[in-house]
Amino acid sequence: MAAIRIATLARRVILQLLADRRTLALILIVPILVLTIAGALIRLEPQGVRVAVVLDDTGVTLPVGSRGAVNLGERLVAGLSGLNEHLAIERMEPDTAAALLEAGEIDAIVRLPADFSAQAVRTRSLTIPVVYEGSNPAVARLLGPLLTRAAIQAIASLSVIDTESVPEIVLDATYRYGSAEFDQLDYLAPVLIGLFVFMFVFILTCVSFLRERLAGTLERLQATAIRHYEIILGYMLGFAVFALVQALVILLFTIYGLRVHTVGNLATVFVVELLLALLAVNLGVFLSTFARNEFQVVQFVPLVVLLTAFLSGALWPIEAMPVWLKPLAWLMPLTYANFALRDVMIKGFGLVDIGPYLLALAGFAVLFVLIASLVIRRQAVS
Amino acid sequence: MEPYAVEVNNLHKRFGHIHALRGLSVQIERGITYGLLGPNGAGKTTLIRAIVGLLRPDAGTVRVLGQPMPDKRLMARIGYMTQNIALYEDLTVRQNLAFFAAMAGVVSRARQQIDEVLALVELSDRADSRVRELSGGLQRRCSLACALVHRPALVVLDEPTVGVDPQLRVQFWEHFHRLNAEGVTLIVSSHVMDEAARCHRLGFLRDGELLAEGSAADLLERSGCATLEDAFLHFAEQVAAVS
Repeated sequence: MAAIRIATLARRVILQLLADRRTLALILIVPILVLTIAGALIRLEPQGVRVAVVLDDTGVTLPVGSRGAVNLGERLVAGLSGLNEHLAIERMEPDTAAALLEAGEIDAIVRLPADFSAQAVRTRSLTIPVVYEGSNPAVARLLGPLLTRAAIQAIASLSVIDTESVPEIVLDATYRYGSAEFDQLDYLAPVLIGLFVFMFVFILTCVSFLRERLAGTLERLQATAIRHYEIILGYMLGFAVFALVQALVILLFTIYGLRVHTVGNLATVFVVELLLALLAVNLGVFLSTFARNEFQVVQFVPLVVLLTAFLSGALWPIEAMPVWLKPLAWLMPLTYANFALRDVMIKGFGLVDIGPYLLALAGFAVLFVLIASLVIRRQAVS
Repeated sequence: MEPYAVEVNNLHKRFGHIHALRGLSVQIERGITYGLLGPNGAGKTTLIRAIVGLLRPDAGTVRVLGQPMPDKRLMARIGYMTQNIALYEDLTVRQNLAFFAAMAGVVSRARQQIDEVLALVELSDRADSRVRELSGGLQRRCSLACALVHRPALVVLDEPTVGVDPQLRVQFWEHFHRLNAEGVTLIVSSHVMDEAARCHRLGFLRDGELLAEGSAADLLERSGCATLEDAFLHFAEQVAAVS
């Protein structure tokens, strides 16, 4: 008898879902869509580290009986080039290198001074000056050991340097942004902050607005004097209170609990979080209008949250994405939030510096307010 | 002042292949209780939604208190009780009332009006209970209170007395008639025929059409029937025979 009851209940569940074609479609389509994009991104070639080399080394004339004049700098650069396929080395002038580093178009500058070779021969040690851009700590972790290896190989090729004692190799690293203390969490924390603020506010609003529709209170509300944009703004304000508290908790825990390093002003970070929360509220309202029940709204969550996370440049840089994905990436509000948050927290940029990103976020917020107002207006007076 | 609180003229509304309202016309005088009677699917709720401005007809017009609907400014003068409970279950009774009062622009006198309507629906002692803690009948009383709290000029009630005990139902109807005496117009949709007799005028609806309307006595006389149920069936057969 129990088996019959269990089977009957299972059958009812199946019949219910079969009758809900939208949920069925979402169950099938959402995973395929997310996997397609995830697959394309995971298969991306690892992004290379772009290094500019400023080679001022004039070389050194070795003692009589040895090989004559040698240029350790040249040998180091030549050796470095072949060590890792993801390392892109380019020689350039100092000003050009500095400008590219500032623009974030290269990851590091290796500047070998005029007396690089002479100093090595004299002191039996190599000091390699490196300036890291600093936004991504993974660069230093990759480049540092490679420079050391290349230096050892360059030195080993010279018989005048006593190879019985290991020469000292020092990386004189400085950072345009961040510091040697920055780790991978420091690089990802701004992105995680943005993602969590966006995700939780979106889910909260989506479910809450659906509940209002299903309970009939939205219809009752629309039969009052309140206008549709007032409903949207009222929801936004109400949820903004909690979104801000959440944003503050996330921010403070990230900085003081997880000890994530940050250079910028926390108030500026908060402004970005606020804009992100406001647009997440309206996106939640808008998307909830397409859901008829909780099954469907739950399907929207991975669709929106995962796609947003994948395409926002958080884990894979946009410039490395396939051509067909790049436009989608620039349509994600979180993309602009990530740029803004990283610029503030890692580079110490201020409100003015991240102005373009704030404008984009504000633009998205206004757009979503308008769309949400239009959608509930159309649904109300059908 | 126009004599009619509601004027519906040749109203048509389709939902897909369902013709919910078929050229329905009705005029409801101010200060009366008008009962909408009919089986499920007759179009009562669709008509009510058109009157309160939640529905844009495919054809025809709706005027409420002299103004064409929908008109957001007018909605503050309308009280609407839906067929669903449609309350915020996580809020208390008083919070729900305060919310709907504020939506209608009642702020300064809200407390007094809330207390009055709580006394009317006999929920004063449960004012601070959360709606989800109330029984279905008490929730319906709260829903009615939310439709009345802002003292509207037109009150539209969709099945207002379902789940309400008979004694309280009598009190509701006494209050409805008091409201009529003050010039308030009520539109009540109901299945309960003995309540139909309490309305000043009735409209029989079926398949989106108005079969007949008039006072209860008038409908009984015209149909030659002893009960309103029989009168309804009589007019339904009459319309079916013509079409």
